[in-house]
Amino acid sequence: MTDIALSARPRSRSVAHRILAGAWATTEMKVAFFIFAALAVLTVVAPFVIDASATKITVADRFLPPIFMEGGRYPYLLGTDQLGRDLLLRSLIGLRNAFAIGIVSVVVMFVIGCAIGIYSGYRGGWVDVVLMRITDVQMSIPVVILAITILGMSRPNAFTVIAVLVLASWPAYARVARSVTLAERQKEYVRAAKILGASDLRIMALHIAPSILPSIAFVAVLDIARMMIFEAIFGFIGIGIQPPTPTFGTIISAGTQYLLNAWWITIVPGFLLALALTSLNLMGGVLERSRNLVLQGQL
Amino acid sequence: MATEPIMRVENLSVVLDSAAGSRPILSDVSFDVAPRSVLGIIGESGSGKTVLSNALINWIHKPLRLTGGRVLYQGRDLLALPEQAMANLRGREIAYIGANPTIALDPTLPVGHQIVEKLKEVEPGISEANARKRVIDTLDAVRIPSAVRRFDEYPFQFSGGMMQRAMIVDALVSNPKLLIADNITQPLDVTVAAQIIRLLRDLQSAFETSIVFISSSLGVVTDTADDVIVINAGRIVERQPAARLTAAPEHAYTRELIAKVPRLWAEAETPEPSPANDIVLEVRDVERTYVVRDRTRLFGENRVRAVRGVSFDVRRGESFGLIGESGCGKSTLSRLLSSIEQPDKGSIKVEGRDIAGLKGTPLLAMRRRFQLLLQDPYNAIPAHASIGRTIEEPLRIHGLARGAALKQRVRDVMTEVGLSPDLYDNLPVGLSAGQRQRINIARALILEPSLMILDETLSALDQVEQARLLALFETLQKRHGITYLYISHDLAMVRRVCARIGVMYLGRIVELADNHTIFENPAHPYTRTLLSSVLTVEPKPFLPETYLMEGEPPDPIHIPAGCTFRTRCPFASARCATEDPHLLATAEGNGAACHLEPGHLPPSSLLPAPAGRAAACLET
Repeated sequence: MTDIALSARPRSRSVAHRILAGAWATTEMKVAFFIFAALAVLTVVAPFVIDASATKITVADRFLPPIFMEGGRYPYLLGTDQLGRDLLLRSLIGLRNAFAIGIVSVVVMFVIGCAIGIYSGYRGGWVDVVLMRITDVQMSIPVVILAITILGMSRPNAFTVIAVLVLASWPAYARVARSVTLAERQKEYVRAAKILGASDLRIMALHIAPSILPSIAFVAVLDIARMMIFEAIFGFIGIGIQPPTPTFGTIISAGTQYLLNAWWITIVPGFLLALALTSLNLMGGVLERSRNLVLQGQL
Repeated sequence: MATEPIMRVENLSVVLDSAAGSRPILSDVSFDVAPRSVLGIIGESGSGKTVLSNALINWIHKPLRLTGGRVLYQGRDLLALPEQAMANLRGREIAYIGANPTIALDPTLPVGHQIVEKLKEVEPGISEANARKRVIDTLDAVRIPSAVRRFDEYPFQFSGGMMQRAMIVDALVSNPKLLIADNITQPLDVTVAAQIIRLLRDLQSAFETSIVFISSSLGVVTDTADDVIVINAGRIVERQPAARLTAAPEHAYTRELIAKVPRLWAEAETPEPSPANDIVLEVRDVERTYVVRDRTRLFGENRVRAVRGVSFDVRRGESFGLIGESGCGKSTLSRLLSSIEQPDKGSIKVEGRDIAGLKGTPLLAMRRRFQLLLQDPYNAIPAHASIGRTIEEPLRIHGLARGAALKQRVRDVMTEVGLSPDLYDNLPVGLSAGQRQRINIARALILEPSLMILDETLSALDQVEQARLLALFETLQKRHGITYLYISHDLAMVRRVCARIGVMYLGRIVELADNHTIFENPAHPYTRTLLSSVLTVEPKPFLPETYLMEGEPPDPIHIPAGCTFRTRCPFASARCATEDPHLLATAEGNGAACHLEPGHLPPSSLLPAPAGRAAACLET
């Protein structure tokens, strides 16, 4: 009975594998991944390699410029800040915190938001109405105001910052997941699963989720960058993780006072942050394009 | 007539580029389109028809590539025109209608407004009021009922047939010189398709438009076109006037194509009568009413009576058919039978067990006994899962196998339905409709059901692929003793495979009889109307002139009193307006819900074989 011409050649690799391979084939992905990986490795190994302290105040070494400028000296490769602390080391630790907060908060808000969104869209009826009104309420509160209220009243640390970011951003995921689910649950394959006897939970988890989450996940990669920016904003206005732990926000904020004489205090962390965000955005974009190509059968 | 052709295609060649190299799709295609004529193009799916229709409007995109040839329109080569000049011609002088009207219309805008938009695009100076009037006039011309009101309605309020008519209006509103119609009747009911074709012919003479009519159905093409081109594997094999093509085909491929057209009457293939008396599915007085909001009143509700008391039995190992136009309640019934929805009233017994109202584990256990195969092969299987994973799913849901045994069973069933097990880890992307439908079948078959409900399962496929799958169904029936319930509007298919047939109209079975009775001497006028609108290459026993039916069924909210068919019935009498006829079965199990006495309907116009009966026919 195998009388049909097989147009597609057999493939043994999984879908995820093909998406990654397709993305890796592009130069952007390689460059972006290299930058990202280099930054990630640096944030981990820097404290052991750089012979300086991120927190110890050395008054004699204040305002040292980067090593390639006149007056710069070892071990302060990219200069020191207003209290004589190594700027590169502080920026890298700030980046590590930003990465951690960005990634953890996006994972949590993605899981919570999408779970609520799929449930809301699939169930419909009053459940949907109630859940979506909650998201409306949540979305009507600006992130920064919410952050000032919560972080200003408590002692901000990594956990509270993540909590605020998740609280502020899950509704966006819930709304997107819900609207895609609404369209998805009408599709014949969902009906087919019901006919086969699949339970609602199974349909949501194994049929709807795999078909809608990947496209949301690739957008979520871009959201990591957005969360890192928020983390920097919180630090800048003084409601982020508190000193002496270095964060982008606090370094840049302090540096603005010395912008004319010691510009590097602002520029170095700013440049690192921009580099990290660019690499993340590039990777997110390439991955999404690659996934579309795979699903269209072009890869 | 030595008139200048309106379009001339010369040596057109198109290839498909892929990683494996380029494959020719069209090779050296040349033809003329005479002014004020209908040129039919027929070919199986995959023969390059759609690519050809796209090439005529210079709409060839990657991975397709033009390798040569010219498409001359008024002396200009369309393929060499700059994009802007082509865009000006497209829609203005050359119109195009595709097979799928539902995606061609923007769901967020009222239908009339979209057509006005188009009209303003092709005639920039036209005033709003004039444009509106012209569109309404054309909507009237294609017989859209109450065009003024329909103008402001959204696409979802239109039925498939009306949307296709709206697309025709959209194409004709700019008075094009050439209309390219690509498979436009494919998704429509026979009655509606017949209306659309009649409409196209009328319009063609009224608007003096030339039409290139592309279809995979020989009956449709020969009914519509003046000249017919037969295309096979990207090459033209034959060109003949429509009448001569069926009478005296020259090319072997054409003869093959004609032989493949299912015959409903002359030398019709029919199934053997039902073998057993053991009843697998017993449906009794099933009703389903939907309550929908009435948008014209503040707290109003409308009751849509989709299924109104349906009863029938399906015997083990037989193929039972349910036919009717769209909107007759077939799909609702299939949802009830597959237990996605519960009936409001009545019982549905599968192997003696009532599934109406069954829930939870007992229902899950029963689901293994009956399976529904859905119509749309593109949406019924998830795009994100590999083929093997999709077929595994039912075994996983029911916990029937795991590990290596699971994979082995999936491979076995893939082989059984004619899918190579090598495709196990492939995504379904790139598979043809037929291959996808095989995945669908494999997924149902793996549960070893005793009853399969085929809800328009084959209607998205071309005739060749349909024939292959029907053969597969037959093999499976013989091997596993599966009972089939075909729900379809494809009369030719039902004629070929179903031993007993129920005809549905407005949520009710109006006639229930064996294959022979339904097709040769049906007792209900509606059954005859359905048969009269079939487009086929053979003479028909029931002619459209006698059983002419205009418009579409009444909507199931406002069901007429008395006999529901009387509003469209050419034989309706005063009794029909007051008294609702009941279906009374004879000893053989045949019956029709009609007040007309048997023998009071006009006899078949087809001269039957016995001479005596033929003479009787002629006398009347």
